[in-house]
Amino acid sequence: MAGGSELQALTRRFEAEAADSLMSSYRPLPGVHDELVDAEGKLRPQWGPLLAGLAEMGVEEVNRLFTAADRYLHRSGVFYRVYDDAGGGERPWPLAHLPLLIDDTEWQALSRGLIQRAQMLESVLADIYGDGELVRSGALPAAAVAGSPEFLRPLVGVDPHGGSFLRLYAADLGRGPDGRWWVLSDRTQSPSGAGYALENRIAISRSLPDLSRSMNVVRLAGYFQGLRAGLTKLDRSGEGRVGLLTPGPLNETYFEHAYLARYLGFVLLQGEDLTVRDNAVYVRTVAGLKRVDVLLRRLDSDFADPLELNPRSRLGIPGLVQAVRAGGVALANALGAGLIEAPLMMSFLPKIGPRILGEDLLLPNVATWWCGQETERERVLDSFDDLVIAPAFGRSLPGLLEDGPVIGADLTPARREEVLKAIQTRGVDFIGQEAVRLSTMPVWRNGQLEPRPFILRLFVAATEKGWQVMPGGFCRVSDSRDSRAVTMQRGGRSADVWVLGAGPVDQTTLLPAPGAAEVRRQVGPLPSRAADNFFWLGRYVERAELTLRLLRTLVGRLSSTIEGDNVSVTKLTHLLKSWGAVPADLAHARTTRQAFAALSRSDLSGALPSIVEAARQTASVIRDRLSPDAWRTLADLALMLAEPVPAKGAEAESHERLERALRSLSAFSGLASENMNRQAGWRFLDLGRRIERGISTARIARTLVGEMVSASTLDVLLELCDSQITYRSRYVMTESRAPVLDMVLLDPVNPRSLAYQIDAIAEHLDQLPAHHGDEPPLPEERLAARLLASMKAFGANEFDDARLTEVEMQLMELSNDIAERYFIHRSPVETPWDLLA
Amino acid sequence: MKYDIHQATAYLYASPVPVARHIVRMVPVSRPGQRVTDSHIAVDPEPAEWVETRDFFGNQVAHIRIETAHTRFTVRTSARVEVDPPPERDPAAGPSWEEVREAVGHSEDLTPHSPVHHAFPSPAVTLCEPITDWTRKSFPPGRPMLEACVELMQRIYDDFAYDSRATDVSTPAIEAFEMRRGVCQDFAHIMITGLRGLGLPAAYVSGFLRTEPPPGKERLQGADATHAWVSVWCGSEFQWIGLDPTNALIVSTDHVVLANGRDYTDVAPIGGVLVGSGRQKLSVAVDVIPMPETTPDAMAPDGAPGEAGGMDDETENPG
Repeated sequence: MAGGSELQALTRRFEAEAADSLMSSYRPLPGVHDELVDAEGKLRPQWGPLLAGLAEMGVEEVNRLFTAADRYLHRSGVFYRVYDDAGGGERPWPLAHLPLLIDDTEWQALSRGLIQRAQMLESVLADIYGDGELVRSGALPAAAVAGSPEFLRPLVGVDPHGGSFLRLYAADLGRGPDGRWWVLSDRTQSPSGAGYALENRIAISRSLPDLSRSMNVVRLAGYFQGLRAGLTKLDRSGEGRVGLLTPGPLNETYFEHAYLARYLGFVLLQGEDLTVRDNAVYVRTVAGLKRVDVLLRRLDSDFADPLELNPRSRLGIPGLVQAVRAGGVALANALGAGLIEAPLMMSFLPKIGPRILGEDLLLPNVATWWCGQETERERVLDSFDDLVIAPAFGRSLPGLLEDGPVIGADLTPARREEVLKAIQTRGVDFIGQEAVRLSTMPVWRNGQLEPRPFILRLFVAATEKGWQVMPGGFCRVSDSRDSRAVTMQRGGRSADVWVLGAGPVDQTTLLPAPGAAEVRRQVGPLPSRAADNFFWLGRYVERAELTLRLLRTLVGRLSSTIEGDNVSVTKLTHLLKSWGAVPADLAHARTTRQAFAALSRSDLSGALPSIVEAARQTASVIRDRLSPDAWRTLADLALMLAEPVPAKGAEAESHERLERALRSLSAFSGLASENMNRQAGWRFLDLGRRIERGISTARIARTLVGEMVSASTLDVLLELCDSQITYRSRYVMTESRAPVLDMVLLDPVNPRSLAYQIDAIAEHLDQLPAHHGDEPPLPEERLAARLLASMKAFGANEFDDARLTEVEMQLMELSNDIAERYFIHRSPVETPWDLLA
Repeated sequence: MKYDIHQATAYLYASPVPVARHIVRMVPVSRPGQRVTDSHIAVDPEPAEWVETRDFFGNQVAHIRIETAHTRFTVRTSARVEVDPPPERDPAAGPSWEEVREAVGHSEDLTPHSPVHHAFPSPAVTLCEPITDWTRKSFPPGRPMLEACVELMQRIYDDFAYDSRATDVSTPAIEAFEMRRGVCQDFAHIMITGLRGLGLPAAYVSGFLRTEPPPGKERLQGADATHAWVSVWCGSEFQWIGLDPTNALIVSTDHVVLANGRDYTDVAPIGGVLVGSGRQKLSVAVDVIPMPETTPDAMAPDGAPGEAGGMDDETENPG
């Protein structure tokens, strides 16, 4: 073994030398703990292999890999995040590329501490909502509970189905100057960040695959497996009816909701999707109501039921509390679990912990004093300047601590007076807290390492095997050198957290691997809301494409000298006007300007930017069901059209945009039809598209070949219907009315013809859940049959204005029938406040 | 005092409502100081689901779900209630308001009767500096809690005009405060906002006033609809004392408690969500008829409150 240790020593030396080059300018901050080097400036051993690996790759290569990781995150972010937010779709926590390293021994200690704390918090919740011994005995002041907006009175005395309040728990930790980890805050409402951690892990391990493997980085998948199994077990039906309840795409962590739902295989649901009947929760789907037994809740409790909780909530499920009371649904976490997050809890937990657990807390929390009682209040007022002054219950206090916690000395004199007065008057609303100095970890700055303070969020889940800690975490790294925890509220970057296993690690992954993926063909019935959005996405995309074709055809004819083209131009402009793509104020402007308006003006409901934006918004709420590429194509198109056209070279730019937009839409259609399996979602998308195309084909044909038919108008019609090439290959003669109309309206093999759309519609209807072959046909099926029949009964020449108008009307009626049957999911339009106001 | 109480509430919808879910708090229950001997509730159309419970504060709550398309929704309730006069309290006695405030912070009671539930902001009560400052004038250091609260009630009565057109059911307290006008709900919310701003416990009470005044007395404001007042906690000995700022009265046997909570949202007679559109019209009628002590079993005439009493307010604007 002597040889072995020699080798180890040699490796160490090599690593230390390599690290030297990266660390030449690394200067830990005075008076705080540093993760990379110890007090003597010596490298802590777990970092050796990482630094050696980086040094070996060289600065340029490392920079390149880190840029690739950023690109990966950006692309996955484009998929999930909303564009209209102020951050322009950037993730809230850009990646700090170096992971935080935690060795096995330290990790074991942290895990034990977290699990112990989770147990304690579970007991505290059970007591507050149950027996109430903690308050009765004076361990927890009654006002400390009653003052919390998250103390949900309708849930008092209700046992959570499944037996526990917490199924997920997260804690923010900081390491003090003495090297001990401290809990800075507890997260029990619906802890966020695990999805980001997963994303960070994927990005970094793609960049540094060899290092993450050779360093025995423990994988995250086992944790998520445990979480999934734990939740699935609560589903008494055994049919995997587990949903992830999200407030929707406007929420800042919606990305994570969609990402986790996908990763865990749960259906992503909004309040609108759900309804409560006889104490059970159901999803409104295109195949009727389907029960859901378990909800992984990412919607704050208070918003979960407008009837019994916050009456202003529009995101909740009326009657949910009643269902919970009756044990009809399990929520993770239970409603009301957010109570623990009130910062004042930390002033009582140090004493409550040993009382409940019979042992000391392994992980202490920051010293905290609640100002609701005189002794503690005086203590806080005495050391006001040195303490962090914070709201007792929430994140901020309107008018006083708008931005949340602040160090007493940092307040302006005027604000200081106000806060002091408020503490005297309503001390119950304030806490004082010891100001913590955080430890620092290295960040990569173009080949050099620099120390930055950080906060570490760790996650715990209740699984069948008991509490399980995610071996990793979400680490927030400050952009500045200010190591006071209170300044870390927002901003900064996030880093992956590597827990270094003592030996080779289990290679579990939940990401689909060849041959390893679960075979599961049915993903459950499509929620009505999703079906509605698919349908309208289909219609908007088709409408956008048609508008583009119209514009292209129009622009192509503008400079034409061919006889009859001026009539076509007039007719095309007329079509654009009837669709609201051209503004009234430009009615007499040159056609070029009108075309330009239809392409670029976002204030016109029928112009391209509005249609594409409508498509993007519709798609954004079903992002989790679209292929990432399809979503990205659409989102990029909306971005392009939203950009102002430069005044210089506007015409050329417009042409370029037109072509690019058409290509994007074709790409979207290709991605949507090739990459979506033939389930209900795709069917509704295609139905929407076929109906829109049918309606517009009828309308275009009616407008173009009504009066004054010429070779030009027929040619335009063929171009709009993308049928020129087919026509020329079939007919040697020039365009004439009957063959052109036949090709555009009745040709069953031309994918742009009216008959083709109607065939497709009828086929889709046959496949939808409401169809029963043995029953009498439904209204929409009757309509489709009538349309099919008229396609066969009449010749092309018989399709005059009246007949085409009738087809148009019938298709619109069909659209309404479908909407009525499948999309009536609109939940309550009135909430108690409206009802009474 | 014994009363026979009849109440009828009707919603009229412009277009049929296919599905509705409501929460109804319209039946009084026995509680300290009052006994309910007989109560009925009837809802039309017939609900598909009906669950009756007590909420956290002990109020009677019916959860109902209607699956019959309807353009009219009515709730009729009746109850026979006996109200005891509360113990006489000397406003100048009892603890100071600062002592009351400190007692809230030290309370070891989280039961529904505890003052701790009523010392914090709630859905319809947002603390605001102007109301707190205005309130503070009645609370010099060391003043007895009840005395200060009675003065505050009197100031609201004196300085504010009763005006049912000035506000509606969702008007925030600060707006009514700035206008110096409103109805019972506004006055109650203003008083609660001011007291909580000083860290003092004040609850919102909804209920009924006797409709006909005793001989020789004036008819009370708010008697023709659901009324609202404030209950303040005056320490462990005095406990809760009802103060009616709309009538400048310490609550006694003219008031019947229907429900109590942190603010209007906790006691709203009918909450709900429904699928449908179109404006709603609401009509309310209340009769609170004193019963002669000699014939305790006499029944009021059938269907006493009649068809919504001809009121056609857009909203219920409680007394």
